[in-house]
Amino acid sequence: MKHFKETLYDAVCQEYRIDKMYFESKTSHQHLMIFHNAQLGRVMTLDGIVQTTEADEFIYHEMLAHVPMLAHGEAKRILIIGGGDGGMLREVVKHPIDHVTQVEIDQSVVDMAIEYLPKHSNGAYQDPRLNLVIDDGFNFVKNFAASGEPRFDVIISDSTDPIGPGEVLFSDDFYQYAKQCLADDGVMVTQNGVPFFQADELQNTQQRMSSLYSDMRFYCAPVPSYYGGFMTFAWGTDNTGASAPELSVLQQRFSALGIKTRYYNPAIHGASFALPQYVIDSLTPSTDNVENGQ
Amino acid sequence: MSAIDTRPLLTLESVDQPEQQLAHYQQLVKKYGSPLLVFDADVLRNKFESLQKALPGVDLYYAVKAHPDSHIVSVIDALGGGFDIASAGEMDLLLQHKISGRRTIHTHPIKKDQEIRDALRFGATTFVVDNLYELKKLVNYRSRIGVLLRISFRSESAKVDLSKKFGCSPDEVIGLVSAAEQLGIHIKGLSFHVGSQVDDPAKHVEAVHACHSLMEQVNLSANKPLSVLDIGGGFPADYALTGFDIQAFCAPIREALNTLPSDWHIIAEPGRYLIAPAVTSITTVAGKSHRNGFVWYYLDDGIYGSYSGQLFDHAVYPLQVFRGGKKHASIIAGPTCDSIDVVAENILMPSLEIGDLIVGHQMGAYTAATKTRFNSLPDAKLIVENQ
Repeated sequence: MKHFKETLYDAVCQEYRIDKMYFESKTSHQHLMIFHNAQLGRVMTLDGIVQTTEADEFIYHEMLAHVPMLAHGEAKRILIIGGGDGGMLREVVKHPIDHVTQVEIDQSVVDMAIEYLPKHSNGAYQDPRLNLVIDDGFNFVKNFAASGEPRFDVIISDSTDPIGPGEVLFSDDFYQYAKQCLADDGVMVTQNGVPFFQADELQNTQQRMSSLYSDMRFYCAPVPSYYGGFMTFAWGTDNTGASAPELSVLQQRFSALGIKTRYYNPAIHGASFALPQYVIDSLTPSTDNVENGQ
Repeated sequence: MSAIDTRPLLTLESVDQPEQQLAHYQQLVKKYGSPLLVFDADVLRNKFESLQKALPGVDLYYAVKAHPDSHIVSVIDALGGGFDIASAGEMDLLLQHKISGRRTIHTHPIKKDQEIRDALRFGATTFVVDNLYELKKLVNYRSRIGVLLRISFRSESAKVDLSKKFGCSPDEVIGLVSAAEQLGIHIKGLSFHVGSQVDDPAKHVEAVHACHSLMEQVNLSANKPLSVLDIGGGFPADYALTGFDIQAFCAPIREALNTLPSDWHIIAEPGRYLIAPAVTSITTVAGKSHRNGFVWYYLDDGIYGSYSGQLFDHAVYPLQVFRGGKKHASIIAGPTCDSIDVVAENILMPSLEIGDLIVGHQMGAYTAATKTRFNSLPDAKLIVENQ
């Protein structure tokens, strides 16, 4: 195969030239590839869907890590569900945290990412604050919720799509157990798809999370390789301080952190919670906009 | 007593250079054992190109169910063909060849939720439904898929009537398209199957015209127009060895398709026509006896193996023996202990000896696909020529 054609939608698809194949594994229900593309660098695909590319992963990882952590302001204990490529961990360990647990279902994904997507983790898997757990994310939150261990300040669900290995991470029970793993003033964020094409995902997440958190919203960022415009991230917290931090507070925290980012900055942080009207409309479905929501 | 079996039987007298053929088959058996199925990839290539020529502009999706074999898939893949799939097993077969789901259509009208999810993970985005229950199963996946609505047009001439079990009636189409629209599911076109192994193209032509007018009617009011027509399969194999002409068979279908708007996508799901002639069965006479006035020959392959299509598919395969002379009323039986394991009952045949080969022609479609492991007998090994 010299080209990769995404299979996410029937009527449209993005096509990538495969300039060099680094890794390919086919098991009975799973097809994983890592290849080089001249425009996007190394690209990882799973079951015909682009998961991450070296060129634009910073947008996704910075926004899913720094927004909840800087909004919280004192996040010390972090939980990452999924995120086997290591990009989320790389951003999280830039913060002055005490501890991060990452739960990945498959050790081989981590090993493969370290070998073939080294820029994603950039050494973060060696961080002494990391507790890497190889387990199903659903099992982990279920067991952790009952364990009585200190809860997490920030939980980041960096999952695959709702159809596939990550499907349990989109269930009602997962959100409930995850909430029980979260400190009272904690923040939970999840990746939530591209609503221009996947409005249903937005509505489903809203239904599941809005009853659990006093503040449940979405924020967004455009990730070019997640074709279709803005990607949304779900945000849930009972911490009103984290919900609407002053820009000056964010600026202070960001400069104290002293890291260089390429997408995130405090102004973008606040602005990313402003949603385009079509996204707002698709959160309130009516018979009139079922078609528009597609 | 059963009627005389009138299938084509090639003997020493009826073919040119039978010795060369026999030597070839004997050599294969010597090398690979017996029974065998011999897949000639050149025949498949030739049939694919003939059908493509007979139906220009029609995208061909090989019906994997006809013969789900890796070598066959690889030839279709190299020809740039698509694949009509209906199960997770068939998807696994394509995955082994790294064939993208974008080159497939999932055509099973009835699916469990897990099957839909498996198909989406595999990358199939075209699904087929024929009723409201099935439509509703697709709601959760509506942003990802395009749906074909299968319509039933019954065929009197088809050996296998595929419109009995599946397909909505033409007068349900408008209602189902509108129900789908309300569910936010995109129906992108219609599909039909006039049956398998049809004698003449009249039903295809009739169905194309009927779908044309239905689609135009829907498109007057539909939000998203129908633009795909899947004309199914039905293109016959030449079991009678009469020199079937696919160009002539398809001429009226071609003419009917030419009346459709040029921006519609036309697809077909050929299986039998492509693969039947590309596979030949070789069996060996393992035993012989004289019972009730018949000469019985017991083969090492039969109804539970490569000849299963005689039972499930109602096919009667042409046979070839490498003897001549006087013909006797004979019975050709398979290797199992079951009395229905008979390949040919009351067939007039030259006298054979134990160890002789009997060759079955046109045995690529719905043969090995439906074999069983009854009696735990070894099944025919598939070997490939001209890969």
